[in-house]
Amino acid sequence: MKNILKGSIIFTLILLLNGCTKDEWMNPAPVTSLSDLTVFDTKDRVVAQVNGMYSSLKSGQHLGGRFQVYNDVRCDNFIPNSSNLVTCFATWNHTVISSTNEVQNMWGAVYSTINVVNVFLEGLKDAWDSGKAKAFLTQAEYDQFVSEALTIRAICYFDLLQMYSKPYHMDNGASQGVPLRLTANKSAAGNDLAPSTVAEVYTQILKDLNDAEPLAATAHSSTSLNITRVHKNTIIAYKTRVYLHMQDWAQVVTESGKIVPASAPFTASSGVAHTLNPNYANIFATPNASAESIFSLPMTSSNNAGTQNHLAHYFGSGSGESFYLVSGAGSLVASMNAADARRVMMETVGGQIYLTKYRDQTTRTDNPPVIRWAEVLLNRAEAIVRSGSAVTQGAVDLLNAVRTRSYAAGTYALGDFASVAAFYDAILLERNMEFLGEGIRNMDLMRLGLSIPGKVGGSFGTVAAIPSTSESYYWPVPVSELTYNSLMTPDN
Amino acid sequence: MNILAPAIYTINLNFLFMKRILLLFSLLLITGSLVMAQTVMISGTVTGSEDGLPLPGVNITVKGTTVGAISGSDGKYSMSVPASAQTLIFSFIGFVTQEVPLSGKTTIDVVLRQDLYNVDEVVVVAYGTQQKRDIAGAVSTVRGDDIRSVPVQSFDQALQGKASGVSITMPNGVLNNPPVIRIRGFNSITSSSNPLIVVDGVPIFTGNIGGTAIQNSLADVNPSDIESMEILKDASATALYGSRAANGVIIITTKRGAGARTKVTYDGYAGWTEPFRLFDMMNAAQYLEHKNLAYTNAGLGAPLHQVDDANGVPIETNWPDYIYQKGFQQNHAITVSGSSPSTSYFMSVGFTDQDGMIQNNFYQRKNARMNVDHKVNKYISLGANVAYTNGYTESPNTGSSFATSGAARLAFVLPPIIGPKLNDGSWNVVSGGIGGMGTGLAAGLGYHNPGQIFETNKHTTESDRIMATISGSITPITGLVLKTVYGIDNLARETTTFWSPVGGDGFSYSGYAYNWTGKDNRWTWTNTINYNTTLVEKLNLGVLAGAEQQRTVGRSWNAAKTGVSDPFFTTYAGSWTTGYGVPGGGYGENFYASYFGRVNANWSRKYYIEGSYRRDGYSGLSKDNKFGNFGGVSLMWNLSNESFISGSGLGELLSDIRLKASYGRVGNMFGIGNYSSLFLYTSSLYGAVPTLYFSQAGNSDLQWETSDKYDAGLSFGILNDKLQADINYFYNDVNQLILNVPQSPSKGIPGNSIPANVGSMYNTGFEFSLRSFNITTTNLSWTTNFNITWLKNEVTELAPGVVEIRTATADLETTNITVVGKPVGNLLAVETRGVDPQTGRRIYVNAAGDEILYSHENASKWTYRSDGSVAPAINTAADGKPWASPLPKFYGGIDNNLTYKDFDFALNLTYAFGFYVYAGSKAGIRDQRWWNNSVEVYETAWKNPGDITNIPKPVINDNVSNGSSFPITENIEKGDYLKVRTISLGYSFNNIWPEGMNIEKIRLYAQVFNAFVLTKYSGSDPEVSTNTDSNLAPGVDRNTAPQARTYSFGVNVSF
Repeated sequence: MKNILKGSIIFTLILLLNGCTKDEWMNPAPVTSLSDLTVFDTKDRVVAQVNGMYSSLKSGQHLGGRFQVYNDVRCDNFIPNSSNLVTCFATWNHTVISSTNEVQNMWGAVYSTINVVNVFLEGLKDAWDSGKAKAFLTQAEYDQFVSEALTIRAICYFDLLQMYSKPYHMDNGASQGVPLRLTANKSAAGNDLAPSTVAEVYTQILKDLNDAEPLAATAHSSTSLNITRVHKNTIIAYKTRVYLHMQDWAQVVTESGKIVPASAPFTASSGVAHTLNPNYANIFATPNASAESIFSLPMTSSNNAGTQNHLAHYFGSGSGESFYLVSGAGSLVASMNAADARRVMMETVGGQIYLTKYRDQTTRTDNPPVIRWAEVLLNRAEAIVRSGSAVTQGAVDLLNAVRTRSYAAGTYALGDFASVAAFYDAILLERNMEFLGEGIRNMDLMRLGLSIPGKVGGSFGTVAAIPSTSESYYWPVPVSELTYNSLMTPDN
Repeated sequence: MNILAPAIYTINLNFLFMKRILLLFSLLLITGSLVMAQTVMISGTVTGSEDGLPLPGVNITVKGTTVGAISGSDGKYSMSVPASAQTLIFSFIGFVTQEVPLSGKTTIDVVLRQDLYNVDEVVVVAYGTQQKRDIAGAVSTVRGDDIRSVPVQSFDQALQGKASGVSITMPNGVLNNPPVIRIRGFNSITSSSNPLIVVDGVPIFTGNIGGTAIQNSLADVNPSDIESMEILKDASATALYGSRAANGVIIITTKRGAGARTKVTYDGYAGWTEPFRLFDMMNAAQYLEHKNLAYTNAGLGAPLHQVDDANGVPIETNWPDYIYQKGFQQNHAITVSGSSPSTSYFMSVGFTDQDGMIQNNFYQRKNARMNVDHKVNKYISLGANVAYTNGYTESPNTGSSFATSGAARLAFVLPPIIGPKLNDGSWNVVSGGIGGMGTGLAAGLGYHNPGQIFETNKHTTESDRIMATISGSITPITGLVLKTVYGIDNLARETTTFWSPVGGDGFSYSGYAYNWTGKDNRWTWTNTINYNTTLVEKLNLGVLAGAEQQRTVGRSWNAAKTGVSDPFFTTYAGSWTTGYGVPGGGYGENFYASYFGRVNANWSRKYYIEGSYRRDGYSGLSKDNKFGNFGGVSLMWNLSNESFISGSGLGELLSDIRLKASYGRVGNMFGIGNYSSLFLYTSSLYGAVPTLYFSQAGNSDLQWETSDKYDAGLSFGILNDKLQADINYFYNDVNQLILNVPQSPSKGIPGNSIPANVGSMYNTGFEFSLRSFNITTTNLSWTTNFNITWLKNEVTELAPGVVEIRTATADLETTNITVVGKPVGNLLAVETRGVDPQTGRRIYVNAAGDEILYSHENASKWTYRSDGSVAPAINTAADGKPWASPLPKFYGGIDNNLTYKDFDFALNLTYAFGFYVYAGSKAGIRDQRWWNNSVEVYETAWKNPGDITNIPKPVINDNVSNGSSFPITENIEKGDYLKVRTISLGYSFNNIWPEGMNIEKIRLYAQVFNAFVLTKYSGSDPEVSTNTDSNLAPGVDRNTAPQARTYSFGVNVSF
């Protein structure tokens, strides 16, 4: 009996000990994620965060694929094979509403990148000001990282305006833009923020780009970094696009003048030596290392935009949800010369014509282009004429540089243009051919206030043209923003 | 794992204090009763009242001690008892327990009365057992025997309609789907509302453990091993489970050995399963006529036509033939059990092999269990349970919602004028999807060819699981039991995917293989001190104190390959050309540490009071809020033991009457991630270089979600308990709801939400259950169990600034909305008012109340009905309304069991009323793209001015008018149903077997499960949940597989 009692007492003690907690069990640290407290501790982690911003930018919902797809399929060149609402059918036939996934997903993806940028900028500044980051970063590196962050944010806001707002030129940016989020969001506070006007958002875009330009690296250490990371010429090139969309022709001329020489061969006069690739097809071919690519996003079989997002899924022939080219009378394809290298980058499958720019259905390694040198040249050509109200040989030379690279017999003479309007038409046509499947078409129509042409869609009936006065001219504010941001208002 | 090394522990001050108290307490208990005693010999015979024959195996114990004996085969017993002993208790399964005072006698003969009405049930409660009549909390019991023969994969599926307050919904008829279990309603919004499941004292893993091949974690417990299931509903019953008790607790107790003779049983059944209530879809001729009309109405001619198959016969395909089947099922279980005075054992093996109603969907389980209890001596007992289960599921993509490969959807979306194969015998596949075969349809339709994907693609889940406990207890003195239980639940599983390059999902990858392997390991260590005594003559006291720790670690890794080298290879291990993506993996862990205690007392079995308390720590909460305090109190008055009842004539009529009330506060942690409170960065890739980015906005104030639960009840038995009833009123106030608070998307917060303790809601209702022994003669018996639960749920507060939470099905269709003042998860839709008889257009109602018509083929699609002028487009954001609640107002079950001589018959019904279902599939079967339509569309679509119908003028490619673009109220229907869950008829061969064969009983039976459903709902089945157990999006039926009906024939044999 005595032993039993002793045993019981010891047993009781053991029992109660098991209520004690082991600290590492009660406060476990994740092993697959890093704590926010340690992410600015080393240079490698800071660099990884810089790459993290780019990686967010290349989300399949944004520049990894869908942004370019939306901007092409909204317009007049493509017909879908599928009426699947998941794969851009509603964008194609202009039936998106504020609850459509396309409208909600892109907004979310772009703002997610904006917040990643804002969180990074604040964290980096804190780490720098506290002296911690100075132990492993030079001033030049610090500046460069800031410039990359600002540029990414500017691209995000610019792309948002393209999809969700009335073009700047229609009322000098007086209409509703998007909320300007410029500080890091990490807590539940601050849901409500009124939208800024289109003009205010443009002002911020230009401020970011102008702030970034002097801080940016002139060039990176490798060709692949020059294409996939922002440097000085990326910022300047992007500014030509921004000013072009604001119809600020003089500024386009000024900015492009920083890097485009006065005469052929139009190789960038400073910074990374961008130049037209003599072979159009090679711009899009592996290893995507053309000097023409100013900025494009690297895709690998391990790291890509995902199914139903990547460009080959939409513009290649094989997915069943792809878009083929309108090819009947009056179409762009019909107007192209068979010898044009850009016409050669097409194939006929099952009686339909498809682009062959993006071919990798299986491992999805086609790099989505963001901006390339040909656009800078065409931006400059157009701006020279529009700002001077006269067609100049310099402008024609720039146009010819892009045109004859693909279609040698197509050289324009100054005398071919009876009016400035004829030149504008030629530029627009050239851009349509040149950037097919690169997400430029819709932006071109809207920056000029042109109607989005109607189309006859295979088995899907007729889609009417969308005039610039239509509420469908740009996308509505997503319902989720209207629901959770009480200061947000519908914009059409 | 060195639990005992004190240096590695941080001892919380509160714990230290608690510990001292408990230590003192237990020492007091131990030292307080150091009395040595003399003994007396008692003997006698036990007989049964009905036939007067001796009863072997009767348990005889001295009241208030563990001293006991068992009667021999001649019904005789003898035992030595302490001189202080006053009363003997005689108990035997199936007989009413009897207490006999000694009064100095040494020979005591007892006649036991058969317990016809199960008055003396022992009920398993948290960390112990209690007599049914001593329980003040709300507890329902379901016997294992009630579900043993039901042809389901897991016990939870069989709980439908069995207990009041418990709602079980099968999401669809896919094999082995985890049902949605709700005890007293939805108790959370973005956390889980699933109850805690405890098997033999150890909380086990729950939910779907498969990938595309769904496998219910609970199917790893063989239903035929289950002795009983207790469902704890109110706070007083659940409070000892503290932080995990908010959604109720289901305690599973597996069988133990009993009886001196070794008992062997065999249970087996075989049968088949098939879908029922499939949609009636158009045949080829109807399809052609209707779709060409729709083309014509759009001004596009009549382009569709039939083409011939290889035999020159026009193609006419009935797609369900390629998707559904009669699935054969068989199930076998063998148990061996018995006991000696010191040892009892139970062993079982089980095998089940079930084909589903969907082709290539099957489930196989092999399991074995051994339970042993052994008394080492009069002080020490040991016990062990070991259960091993191997589960294997194979399945096509049976997915609900919008997958273009979803089986149920393909059955009704594909046109009858195309077939699975081309005339040359090859698969009809174009660009991965099914082809139009030159019928005028598009060359490729995008949707997958079920013939091909069912034959070539494969998804599997295999689990290996060991659930085991080892326990030891010491009884140093009478009434005091010190017990330790250590249990593990180790679950290893592998899911695999193989997609053929021929077509379907694998087409764009040129073949795809994906393997995922995970291990979830959990241990739970529980120590308790239990003391029961009679303090003064009539004051019975029970005290429980305990401590528990539980640690769970989950690890997984996965990899994929694309580009299969040769069609021969159909597994990841085969030869492939490309590794796809970077192999991934996961890791998570969590930990609980708790102290708990319970005191219950009653005076003379008339006045009961009980209090329980638990202090619970959970690692997933924020640093300063890991611990929470939970507990409850209950009171009960047993009037039937009052002399004014029992002594009066009323006692004859009113054999039992008890009034109860309880209050408690419990917590909820289900759905709180392992690291939800932390701010995290995740690493990925940018091309080939590593990245790091902000991936989780945590909440450093995250704490428990708490529920205050109130319960009041009345239990009574009439006419010697021939009629037993329980009535309960409950009110459950849920506060500090853990809500994944939606953030404005423009903030860019990862996932657009942050978990926070905001918001509140309540559930209130009545439960009524009735057990009636209608007839209990020797030849004929008839019992009825009836239960009904009325339930009301209302959200009373959401997060500041959040007025509504919208929830989508599969991220694609916003179907539900949660707002303050209404039940959670209301169905959201734009109001429609049928079809305009003049124009044949659907009438929509916008937010302003204007009627608007939709004409798909016109440039101006939306026009005011009043004057034909152009109207703004309708959309859910502005014009959608919370239309109806998908939560039933009342639900329950009715079981009838009849035996006549050797025949037995059972009829089990379940029902639910007062709720609505979003019949999303109806939008699909009326959609005017190339999709096939129901015969109803063919027959009743608008054709001429003046037609009164609710199906508008067909216009090809119109995906708006019937609700495919956004939900419309046309597709929200009442879901009221009464379902005949099981009908069974059995015959037992009793006493016809020669003595030497030792056959106790053989019963043969036939059974229909899910026999039929009475409902006005137009979809397959109103018991449906496309979004499985989502709190925020219930009541959605979108491309969901129908329920399965099963016919089975079985045998129960016992030796």
